[in-house]
Amino acid sequence: MVSVLGISGSPHRHGNTETLLDAFLEGSKNAGASVEKVVLKEIDYVPCRGCNACHKTGECIVQDDAPPLFDRIFSVDCIAVASPIYSMGITAELKGLIDRAQYIWARKFVLKTLYFTNEHIRNHKGIFISTAGLSWDNVFDAAFPAITAFFNTLGFEYYDNIIANNMDLYNGIRGHPAALKEAFEKGQQVIRVIEDLKERSGRH
Amino acid sequence: MPVKVLAFAGSPRRQGNSETLLDWVLEEMRREPDVEVEKVVLVDANVNPCRGCNACETLNRCVQRDGMDYLHDRIIDADVIILASPIYCMGICSQAKALIDRFQVFRSRKYVLKLPIVPPERKGKRLGIFLSTAGQNWDYVFDGAIPSVKCFFHVIEVKDKDIHYLMVNGVDEKGAILDHPTAQHDAERLAREVIAGIKARLAG
Repeated sequence: MVSVLGISGSPHRHGNTETLLDAFLEGSKNAGASVEKVVLKEIDYVPCRGCNACHKTGECIVQDDAPPLFDRIFSVDCIAVASPIYSMGITAELKGLIDRAQYIWARKFVLKTLYFTNEHIRNHKGIFISTAGLSWDNVFDAAFPAITAFFNTLGFEYYDNIIANNMDLYNGIRGHPAALKEAFEKGQQVIRVIEDLKERSGRH
Repeated sequence: MPVKVLAFAGSPRRQGNSETLLDWVLEEMRREPDVEVEKVVLVDANVNPCRGCNACETLNRCVQRDGMDYLHDRIIDADVIILASPIYCMGICSQAKALIDRFQVFRSRKYVLKLPIVPPERKGKRLGIFLSTAGQNWDYVFDGAIPSVKCFFHVIEVKDKDIHYLMVNGVDEKGAILDHPTAQHDAERLAREVIAGIKARLAG
């Protein structure tokens, strides 16, 4: 069974971004996946301290809810990472988690104890889900580099974005003409794609 | 009246590269006559992330009681505002992003409530500086940071053309910036330029 983990980075419960994430996860569930969701504001973790201790050990010295969350991420086939756009970027909560992935990065690039094969990366899909109040076309642009870095570090292919701007005009995600339907359908589609890839990998 | 400089050290790593860059700027500014400098270290400043509750759109103040209570008036009173942040995972560190997101109260005041941020006679008489360091050598490593930095300054009435940037890439390990061929010189020159510039504005 394909497994999906949704990570909600909004401090605002059941707001536009989390609702869009929920639609994606519903689609995945509908396609037969096992689905879980983590709400970052409900778990206990601090931002990266920049101490670089992980460059020597490959482990984070901060013992909180972040390392177990990374263990969960490594146990699933697909992650859907969701954040609203605040001040042209992702939230401090999500950036706080992304920065904590430094110990994974250190394993890959400093200690060279971790390596993901191309097949592994292809079979693991990362989706970025976001909403923004502003109508500007470029409102998501500054979020992409950090999301790209996050998926690369974790060995997930950056598969797709599900993004909707202009929330202020639509009066929220439920007023948007297409976003929730698109999220549900993409949630279904990615599961079929992963199933197909896993089947092909199994045949080798 | 002395020139007031308010500087934020955003890095969780004390005395690291971005804070060293900031200290070079501040030391040079302190050498100039009639300059008052206050440096705020974000990890010690108790600034929590924005909760996204949007209450500031009606209350004109934040519902959270934390270090921002102390900083609010100082942000308005300063003639020069400086933000220093390292690049983590292709973006500003989450501690600096939390501060930027808390500027939502100024954004609401300016764009929703249409109230002044500074008195009319101080408009156009504020300058900003963004200082950053990154471990990677890529020339695009700062691209994800800049849009959020612009938001930070725009909502407190520092215009785009009044934001100065000094961003140094290729400095990773603590102290690496000390070996950089031009960083200290560039920081000191920038400090003198900005102080001369703000004095001319305030006199004009």
